[in-house]
Amino acid sequence: MKNIRFNNKYYIHLSIILGMFLLITTSCCKDDTPDPDPVSTTGKIHLDFDFKIDGNDIEYGLPKYTNAAGNVYSLYEVQFFISKLTIYQNGNAKELKAWSKEHYVDTNIPTTMSWDVVDDIQEGAYDSLSFVLGFIDADNQSFMFVNKPEVDMIWPEYLGGGFHYLKINGKWEIATDTLRGFAFHLGRGQVRDASGVPISFIDNSFKVTFANSEFSISKNKYTSMTIRMNVDQWFKNPTDYDHNTWGGDIMENQPAMQIAKDNGWNVFELIK
Amino acid sequence: MLKLKSYFFIFLAMSLLATYACGEKDPPIEPTPEGQTPYIVEIPTGFPQKVYIPDDNPMTVEGIALGRHLYYDGRMSGKAKEGMPMSCSSCHLQQFSFENGIGKGTGTIGIQTHHVMLPHVNLLWNPGTYLWNGSVPSIEADVLGTITAPDEFASTYEKVEKAIRAVPMYPPMFKAAFGSEEINVNLIAKAIAQFMRTQISSNSKLDRKLRGEYQFTQAEDRGLVLFTTEEGADCFHCHGAPGNPLMTTHLFYNNAKDIEANFDLANDRYSVTGDVRDKGAYKATTLRNIELTGPYMHDGRFTTLDQVIDFYSEGLIYSNYVHPLMHKVFPPYGYGAGLNPQQKADLKAFLLTLTDTTFINNPDLASPF
Repeated sequence: MKNIRFNNKYYIHLSIILGMFLLITTSCCKDDTPDPDPVSTTGKIHLDFDFKIDGNDIEYGLPKYTNAAGNVYSLYEVQFFISKLTIYQNGNAKELKAWSKEHYVDTNIPTTMSWDVVDDIQEGAYDSLSFVLGFIDADNQSFMFVNKPEVDMIWPEYLGGGFHYLKINGKWEIATDTLRGFAFHLGRGQVRDASGVPISFIDNSFKVTFANSEFSISKNKYTSMTIRMNVDQWFKNPTDYDHNTWGGDIMENQPAMQIAKDNGWNVFELIK
Repeated sequence: MLKLKSYFFIFLAMSLLATYACGEKDPPIEPTPEGQTPYIVEIPTGFPQKVYIPDDNPMTVEGIALGRHLYYDGRMSGKAKEGMPMSCSSCHLQQFSFENGIGKGTGTIGIQTHHVMLPHVNLLWNPGTYLWNGSVPSIEADVLGTITAPDEFASTYEKVEKAIRAVPMYPPMFKAAFGSEEINVNLIAKAIAQFMRTQISSNSKLDRKLRGEYQFTQAEDRGLVLFTTEEGADCFHCHGAPGNPLMTTHLFYNNAKDIEANFDLANDRYSVTGDVRDKGAYKATTLRNIELTGPYMHDGRFTTLDQVIDFYSEGLIYSNYVHPLMHKVFPPYGYGAGLNPQQKADLKAFLLTLTDTTFINNPDLASPF
């Protein structure tokens, strides 16, 4: 075998080439690990949702509750959207919509009962938060949901389109041991012509605010809060809602939906 | 000289280390077995983007081809030589939207199924609640259950495996589909499930209307309004609306068919969940191709669509377990939507727009034999 001898010059040149290679490969290296952010000053919000009737946990399917109008009733399920989650600080509002502008809650689906809001929020003290029950008209677009479970909230085109803001399904007692179903549903209302055909539609969504809802955000932490729906409040204050008066369905009954909208102002409670 | 040489080799090692450290960190992708071609599902316009395909059974062209053969092969009962051939297609006929068109099915030993057949249509979007009571979580599990159920194949896994292994064309097809000529019931179930996820109906008049290719007649339009309004027939809460072209919520309801004494608590949704709200409840099945899939209801009590419409119009039966969405039940009797003859005709006209003749004539879904 031929004995090959390399001189110093050869090694110097080879080292320079390798050095350049090393420089290129390291500079092109994809950095999957974000640099620790020593100056991060943001945290996040985690929301849980729960439901009460008269301050108690709900036993679904059992007619054991009495509303303000004196109807004995049971609850089967509650489903609703919230949107435009907004936080307030020193008079400034910031809508949280980095990932999604709405959240769907369904008492039949445990995974919907909590929400990690993606938005980064500056640490500090905040005055309050708010959300919209359902969607404002501009956001309430037909066909915007095609997947379950959200798609099951469709509000028919003929009645204004978009999606239900809220469904509360249950039953009330019309006589001893005799129950009738109610579908207490809220969405777009209709203005009808003399023949009963809808000619325009009404935005029945409303903004939910909370008194004494100050909270604080700490950097690199989740601030957890619970949004509680007190179901009994849908049926009172300012107007007692009597199922015997309004019957089993209200999607085409704007006066009934107006009561729901008016009563909704203090249905929700923020638990910190 | 020696010192410089050492520096060079240290430098070389560092370079290699740096190159390795910067390499792609994603886990290596499992190689596709030779001959397998991934099957890309085309989501029809307006249909859900979320589909239900198990991670351990991705769809492939070869798997679907194999599943199609098995779906139609009477040797699938494992009892063909005993004079009792049966396959999925024995009770799921394409002309009836892969339902049997007569109600309950009859298995290889003459036992009738407890409930009527359900159509094999758009199961790609079933969220894991198969059969009338939702007791079966996947198509694969349904196929395995069919093999041994006394009212279906009434067979054994061993018999089915032996029968299919004995067919010369199958080992190569299994190799093409799954990378091995090994044949077992789990792979059989996977292949059939892959085929069944291609049984997609998306070309009814309603679909074409949504794509802007068809204009409803006045009767069909009026029927749609009745279908989607509470003051009309209010079908949409349980069966979907044009924005949900599957025409089912895949949920379970007691739809006021029976008094409590006649509930079948051992086989209804309550038998699965134990939830009092599910007493007497069954799946709100898809209305797609409803014209073709009678008799209707879980027990096939209605033979025509007209009877079904009459039932929802004036035949509801009261019990304390009727779902609240059946708010047209007026205790203590029942009653219903109270449709007049014109409204009934309009509602039926809309229901007929859900028939998809392209689906029932699709050669890709027909018998390969």
